[in-house]
Amino acid sequence: MQRDKFFKEIENVCHPNETLIKTHCSYCGMQCGMNLRVNTKTNKIIGVEPRYDWPVNVGKMCPKGVTAYQQTNHPDRILKPLIRDDASLKGTTSGFREAAWDEAYDLIAKKFKELQSHYGKDTLSVFSGVSMTNEKCYLTGKFARVALQTRYIDYNGRFCMSSAAGGFLRSFGVDRGSTLPWTDIHETDCLFIAGSNTAECHPTSMFRVWNVQERGGYLIVADPRETPIARRADIHLDLRPGTDLALANGILNLLIQKGYVDEAFVNNHTNGFEETKELVKEFTPEYTSQITGIAPEKIIRAAEIYGKAPNAIVMFARGIEQQTKGVDNVSGYTNMALVTGKIGRPKSGVATFTGQGNGQGGREHGQKSDLLPGYRKLTNPKHVEEVCKVWGITPDEMPQPGVSAYELFELMEQKTIRGLYLLCSNPAVSAPNQNFVRKALKSLDFMVCADFYLSESAEFADVVLPSVTWSEDEGTVTNLEGRIIKINQAQEPLGESKPDWQMQAELAERLGRGKYFSHLKTARDVADEFRLASKGGYADYYGATWDKIDKQDGVFWPCRDENDPGTPHMFLDKKFYHPDGKAKICALPYRPPAEEPDQQYPLRLTTGRVVFHYLSGNQTRRIQFLRDMCPEPYVEVHPETAAKYKIEHEENIRLYTRRGEAVYKVKITEAIRKDTVFVPYHFGHDQSINLLTIAALDPISRMPEFKACAAQIEKLRK
Amino acid sequence: MKKRLYLELENCIGCRSCLAACTQCGGHEQRNRNYVYDVNPLVNRQTMPLMCLHCVNPACARSCPAQAIQIHETGAVLSALVEKCIGCQNCTIACPYGIPKFDTEQNLMYKCDLCIDRTKDGIPPMCASVCPSNTLQWLTDEEIEAKQKQFHLKNGKWVTSMPYLEGETNVRVNLPGILQGVTKLY
Repeated sequence: MQRDKFFKEIENVCHPNETLIKTHCSYCGMQCGMNLRVNTKTNKIIGVEPRYDWPVNVGKMCPKGVTAYQQTNHPDRILKPLIRDDASLKGTTSGFREAAWDEAYDLIAKKFKELQSHYGKDTLSVFSGVSMTNEKCYLTGKFARVALQTRYIDYNGRFCMSSAAGGFLRSFGVDRGSTLPWTDIHETDCLFIAGSNTAECHPTSMFRVWNVQERGGYLIVADPRETPIARRADIHLDLRPGTDLALANGILNLLIQKGYVDEAFVNNHTNGFEETKELVKEFTPEYTSQITGIAPEKIIRAAEIYGKAPNAIVMFARGIEQQTKGVDNVSGYTNMALVTGKIGRPKSGVATFTGQGNGQGGREHGQKSDLLPGYRKLTNPKHVEEVCKVWGITPDEMPQPGVSAYELFELMEQKTIRGLYLLCSNPAVSAPNQNFVRKALKSLDFMVCADFYLSESAEFADVVLPSVTWSEDEGTVTNLEGRIIKINQAQEPLGESKPDWQMQAELAERLGRGKYFSHLKTARDVADEFRLASKGGYADYYGATWDKIDKQDGVFWPCRDENDPGTPHMFLDKKFYHPDGKAKICALPYRPPAEEPDQQYPLRLTTGRVVFHYLSGNQTRRIQFLRDMCPEPYVEVHPETAAKYKIEHEENIRLYTRRGEAVYKVKITEAIRKDTVFVPYHFGHDQSINLLTIAALDPISRMPEFKACAAQIEKLRK
Repeated sequence: MKKRLYLELENCIGCRSCLAACTQCGGHEQRNRNYVYDVNPLVNRQTMPLMCLHCVNPACARSCPAQAIQIHETGAVLSALVEKCIGCQNCTIACPYGIPKFDTEQNLMYKCDLCIDRTKDGIPPMCASVCPSNTLQWLTDEEIEAKQKQFHLKNGKWVTSMPYLEGETNVRVNLPGILQGVTKLY
């Protein structure tokens, strides 16, 4: 499909006795194309070869991508179900014994039934993730509501993508993370990137980002840290963590005052302009500077560059989304595109960098507590009826909406929830306020965890079920562009491991709900049902057949039927998804982070990623190359701040907040603000920075404020 | 058509994909033969890759008493031949860029061979294949010349390949500050 100037015809190397399986990376939302090298004699994955023919990354890969294949045959793989008989050992790696699948299934069914008969259906919960295929995400939603019949299902997208979803839904009436394909990015004139450490989190976007500057275009970066992209930006807006909305409002005010408004677009295709114009008036460069800490002239210049750009793309990521006003931040930056009319055409638009592999697809098909497949709402009787028809249940059998991810742990701690089925997620590292979350996990009467490694969360489980890696199953994933792609199987499941969809179908049988699942014998069976379940929804995948995906280098949703090629660019017809077809320019009053620095906690703590690790690190910390490159977390401190505390480079210090404390090695760097410290979040146990983070939630997306809380440093006595 | 490794230093984001990819090349035994340095580690995030420059008259080969370092017809300076290398480490001392490393267990030098099993057939070396920031590129001389024309540096020097440092190299490296010469679109 989109073949651009970076595409070159290059032959792949294929050694004798090997075959290449075309697939995609297991990690972030880029879902880079790659070839897995498979030994034809042993049928084992033995390496990786670039996939030059994939239009998004044209052979390029980050260090995680290059080494991803090492996951599958890693010695840490769990090869048989594990059962722990002594519940007092929960929270440790001890006490597990290997068991047969039958014994594990019987135990789960017995315990789940017992709990439900004592405490009601809703005493069980499902916590899932979006690093798995659309098919698995879809079936997990069905498993919770039809097999377990519980309302309590949610997923780790609450820690990752839900603010982007909330913001896009409010502004556009639909949530597709990017309004344009990635092959447009290098052709634009101005990139405005807010709260994204793109070079480390989505490295394979970088050749396009740099190309904008190489062509004479502009790069504006808003970030508290001087990340590799901020270092080279034309303007680096080095704001205080948690003040993005003030910056967005300040820039919007300047765009309006300096005459960059596209009046025809605003009048014909948007609502809310006058109200917003009035609200942002007070955000003068000086006032914005007071809140954000950015020099006024930089804000003025950034607005001028974006305003003048013939084409521009506003991009953002967790930096603005993981805040208690994450949804407002997303709408705030989206306002820039709407007011200037830089949307709904090629080379201009809005995009979010998706953190998890299937962050897009995984949020569309019913893993969220309030959503059903195809972005249907549980609160809409018509939507419920449509899904019930596919599932073969009646609307009164459909559970009510539940609660968000972090709130599930609160219900566990209160004993409202007593059972948990956890898959594809590691909340014992990735959830905020870890001391509380770990206590909640420990308080469960019965916990099942499906994973291919013994994660920190699996340590709390009574039963661990061995699942497969991405390369041992097949299915579709939706990347950060909204492009549905195909993951192909390269190896048979190792040991006795099984795909999650198969486990769920088999467990449903044991729970007496087999008739709703017994027809699902292959991943393709699940795909066919899932396409049907999404048909007619906003996120309509019905026309995205596996054959079409192969033929077209992926299919962008919505794709409504066999003849529909899909939708690479959104809103080309200037029609948005709100009932009147107009987008909403949002008037958003500024509010500070939930916790501001004070005398006792004078610093701001912010968290994020490094290029060598993925999410909770459960996968990447086990890969030798990645572990060698980044074996432990650290705290970034500005040299002047370090001098104040009399601490030195590589010295261990204690970092603490109102919720917890941990010891980290100091990394002195001028790349961080003087009033801020940064710690990467990929590490578990005593090194998890989420022991310190705050569980203050966004009112709409229920996303915790990972990006800002008050902290203090203490020098350790030698 | 002859292609060269070309380094656009300013693009480097420090991701070490080139190192990871190097371990994946046939015969590299999971060990990288290229390096990435933090330029000012306590100050900023600027990094730069350090690759073998495949000198036209390489000091490593000149200093080898056993003629163990061969130069391929493509210009690639190869890793020491197992049967000839005597483990004297002259090459590691002679190279001004610190590229050849020594494996004490095998008593053998190892260095970047420009993925010769790929590049001899015109396929880019693994490092340039994967480099997500286009710091490492695999280009024809015409493409390199076009880049030179695109950037207008006042001193006219933008490629550090000859006759500076060790001498003429097969790998081309541009100077930092390249974007200063770019004319803005608007």
